[in-house]
Amino acid sequence: MPVLRLVHPEPAVGPTEARRRKIGLEKVAVDFATRGKTVRAVDGVTLEVPEKQFLALVGPSGCGKSTILNMVAGLLAPTEGTIEYDGAPVLAANTRVGYMTQKDTLLPWRTVADNIGIAFELRCRKASAGERRERVAEMIDLVGLGGFERHYPAELSGGMRKRAALARMLIYEPETLLLDEPFGALDAQLRLLLQQELLHLVERRQMTVILVTHDLEEAVLMADRVVVFTSRPGRIRATRDIPFERPRNAMELRFRPEFSAIHEELWNELKDEFAASIGGERGAK
Amino acid sequence: MRNRNAAPKPEVVLAQQLVFLVVLLATWQFASGRLIPAFYISSPSDIVAIVWKWLADGSIWLHVGSTIITLFMGYAVGALLGIGFGLLLGLSPRTERLVAPFIAALYGLPKVALLPLFVIFFGIGLVSKVALVASVVIFLLFYATLAGVRDIDRDIIQSMRLMGARSDEITRKVRLPAILPWIYTGLRTSIGYALTTTVVSEALSSNRGLGFLIEYSASQFNSAGVFGAVVVLLVLSSVIMIPLGMLERRSRPTRPSR
Ligand SMILES: Nc1ncnc2c1ncn2[C@@H]1O[C@H](COP(=O)(O)OP(=O)(O)OP(=O)(O)O)[C@@H](O)[C@H]1O
Ligand SMILES: [Mg+2]
Repeated sequence: MPVLRLVHPEPAVGPTEARRRKIGLEKVAVDFATRGKTVRAVDGVTLEVPEKQFLALVGPSGCGKSTILNMVAGLLAPTEGTIEYDGAPVLAANTRVGYMTQKDTLLPWRTVADNIGIAFELRCRKASAGERRERVAEMIDLVGLGGFERHYPAELSGGMRKRAALARMLIYEPETLLLDEPFGALDAQLRLLLQQELLHLVERRQMTVILVTHDLEEAVLMADRVVVFTSRPGRIRATRDIPFERPRNAMELRFRPEFSAIHEELWNELKDEFAASIGGERGAK
Repeated sequence: MRNRNAAPKPEVVLAQQLVFLVVLLATWQFASGRLIPAFYISSPSDIVAIVWKWLADGSIWLHVGSTIITLFMGYAVGALLGIGFGLLLGLSPRTERLVAPFIAALYGLPKVALLPLFVIFFGIGLVSKVALVASVVIFLLFYATLAGVRDIDRDIIQSMRLMGARSDEITRKVRLPAILPWIYTGLRTSIGYALTTTVVSEALSSNRGLGFLIEYSASQFNSAGVFGAVVVLLVLSSVIMIPLGMLERRSRPTRPSR
């Protein structure tokens, strides 16, 4: 299974090293109009993601995390402020990023294998049938979907569909990954395994990542930096660098005292927001 | 112990069905002229005789051929136009909103009412019948195609675009596969309507076709002829439905449950 478990080719880069800005959000705000009311979903978010950084976004449900990923992907324009990628404003679908959305977008009439290989059928990433088959087999192995190659998405569980979507994105190794709750529907064991596999891949390929998660532990284990959002409208409440070395061993990391300390520190920021978010929802009724 | 709910073997079912048919025909034969005047219900032997006579002198082929030609020309023209308009309006929602009420009104209109108009336009003959059949099929395929276009998942298109897919690739890999099952369904359901309309148009304004044969026989008080033409029509419609079964198998068994 650990196909991609290779030795790190370059010296590991620390999270604090100064690097080129890959993604930049400048005073970004987003309003949604629903039933005559405008709701501010995101407010005054300024955020920079240096090249090759692994950034995690955490925050209560409905605080605008998916909205931010949509903007970086160029699927949504901000109401105020600007989004930049590689120094240029994002104005259309950003084909430099791979985006794994919260709701999977597998093609229902294609089998798992044909879904995963679809990127290589496109003119811009054309690969021979043989190469495609080989890469698809590798990815299926990586996400543990062996035996389900010929199944249709409707025949898979929620977690299996997520894994297929992950494989479909990872197969063409985009330079930047936008991951919205990629491991949400998985059991603890599989989650650990896939977190570790993703870490290997990202470290080996030096990818830039924005990971959205509800799971603070996951954020601390995987990211170089964690950003905590307030409840709606989403603002940045806290930012924390995570000083652990790369490559990382997520399994081993979670038993270190520093890990617990950072986790607790961030949890203290987050828990007020969860409370505020639930209080807000109740108050609205 | 025998399972009472177990389905019987297919051969057993077939045998039972055959017995049922034989009993039915025998009863009919017996009742004819004894319980009910043959003038009303004819009899199986008379029907067989008249169909045999039509086959022997070849006169039936004119009618069968005419029905098949009308049916398939009307079906093809209507389907092509319906799919075409469905795609066109599906991809330009603003025009669709503009014309939607007019299309809905026309759809509700019983198309048979248009036959005299078509006869004025095209004269009595093939073209006016084809026009009537097409006018029925076109709406069914139009709405099926439109539903298919609406069924296209925007999120899937966006994800393909992020992957670097060009517009034509999205059309081939997402739009068409999403629409095709709807078109299959439209094609399947509309053939029945097309056949009905064909027969009606032949009965109303034609001098050939199975619809005409039924109507003509009735006007001659020839009940065996009416029943005979109905039997031929029954065989014809069954023959047409077999390829439809194949079409059904082509559409995928696994659709997402939404
Ligand atoms: N298309 C839309 N139309 C109207 N409102 C929207 C739309 N998309 C998002 N919103 C609103 O914007 C807010 C932020 O939504 P978003 O999906 O970004 O939240 P999230 O942080 O990803 O939440 P979750 O963790 O539950 O996925 C929500 O309160 C939601 O109601
Ligand atoms: Mg979300």
